[in-house]
Amino acid sequence: MSVDIEGHISRAFDGALSSLHMRVVEMGGLALLQVRDAGEAYTDWSTAMAQAVLERERRLNALDQAVDEDSLSLIALRQPVASDLRTVIAMSRIVAELERAGDEAKKISLTVLGRAGRSGERPGSATARDARHLARLAANLLRMSLDALDTLDFELARKVVAGDRELDDEYADGLRRLLTRAMEDARHFNVALDAAFVLKSLERIGDHARNIARIVLSIAREGEAAPISQQPAATR
Amino acid sequence: MQREPRNEAASVTGVAPAAATATAAAPPRNSPPLPPGITTTGVVTLDDPLISCRGVDVFYGEKQAIKNVSIDIARKQVLAMIGPSGCGKSTFLRCLNRMNDTIPGARVSGLIQIDGNDIHDKRRDVVQLRARVGMVFQKPNPFPKSIFENVAYGPRIHGLAGDRAELDEIVSTSLRRAGLWDEVKDRLNQPGTSLSGGQQQRLCIARTIAVNPEVILMDEPCSALDPIATARIEDLMDELRESYAIVIVTHSMQQAARVSQRTAYFHLGDLIEVGSTDKIFTNPSHKLTEDYITGRFG
Repeated sequence: MSVDIEGHISRAFDGALSSLHMRVVEMGGLALLQVRDAGEAYTDWSTAMAQAVLERERRLNALDQAVDEDSLSLIALRQPVASDLRTVIAMSRIVAELERAGDEAKKISLTVLGRAGRSGERPGSATARDARHLARLAANLLRMSLDALDTLDFELARKVVAGDRELDDEYADGLRRLLTRAMEDARHFNVALDAAFVLKSLERIGDHARNIARIVLSIAREGEAAPISQQPAATR
Repeated sequence: MQREPRNEAASVTGVAPAAATATAAAPPRNSPPLPPGITTTGVVTLDDPLISCRGVDVFYGEKQAIKNVSIDIARKQVLAMIGPSGCGKSTFLRCLNRMNDTIPGARVSGLIQIDGNDIHDKRRDVVQLRARVGMVFQKPNPFPKSIFENVAYGPRIHGLAGDRAELDEIVSTSLRRAGLWDEVKDRLNQPGTSLSGGQQQRLCIARTIAVNPEVILMDEPCSALDPIATARIEDLMDELRESYAIVIVTHSMQQAARVSQRTAYFHLGDLIEVGSTDKIFTNPSHKLTEDYITGRFG
């Protein structure tokens, strides 16, 4: 069954639901920007970019709160049911995932800025290459999950779930290569430790994208069941 | 989107899916077979139902108000019937105690049985039937008599009380069960019409249960009441379902969601979908049900 956000007799309800949806998509765009910039800040070692990520983090949190408040009042005032209820609940779960993806971006930026007890040293070129690859995969998954949300494209959402498995494999490979390099050259152990945390953050961002895709799928959840007369007669 | 195969199809449709026929889901006990041509989605048949309706049609003159409706109604449960005005839900409710007999030009066909007995059986006494299947209406309609007499009337004409003490007992028990006793025990001789709307409706419920029914039919019992009186009636329904089957017609979907365990959705005389209230309001199977409960109708 296709899911329409609009089409209610009450147009005010349509408006409230679609503005909630738009806000979540807007927050998604911001979270995606955070993830891309944090990845680049690390691989290109740009403190300016890392700083920009930290500054935008507050806006992401504010949007998270705004969506929460909107969902609560929508539930209280409109008593949504069925697909409407699933949509509202899905939106507030999705913003929680986006907020956490934003947190991972923040952690990566803090590494670049040498805060949070990190070494503050630039990764080697091989490590940067691995991180760039993972960052692209993670950002791409997040973008796909947001597109799936924006257009309620359930096929795309399924691709995200599959894509996250690929990211997990890439993460395991990258981590193995990183440890090999760290054992060869123990002087830069601090940098390797930082890099391990960054790779882990990127892998977590992929998990959040997968969770968003699963939540989008939960909005659909149901097909139209066949009437009883169209089912095998022997079972009646 | 593509429909995914559903492995819980059996619970959704009330019949086993094709793959499960080998393991043979037992047919529901004491539930008559379904006639052909059922278009209803959901769980229609139940194990050991109190009421079974099969292929019920109702005509008002040329106009068909109910089309081939089949449904089982459980013991000790609230069934809510919802649907837009003119969908036939009240007409169907009135079939259950043959209230449509009183409407000129109305014809009811199909099987309706209570505990296995056909209610249209010629030997059947309609007055007895209406005692077993009581009814509460939209507007409270107490008799123009005292509170006591309102409740005592039924037991008296059905000869349920041997003497005055027994009658007193029935009246006080019924008023207690209807949650009205404490409010009226000191003024049982005052007219029933002197009570507030909500109290009058509870008096009508006391009058209904005084004759020991098995089923209580309620046709929008709260639509003339304020929210507090409504909450009292809804709370009362929750208690009453420990002893009776209740079938309620309501325009308030929130009320259907609050009071019932099972919900039936009617549309233009068809029973579109029936299932657990929880399922109907979180994840209905039929597009028409979804559109109606989410307010997208029309």
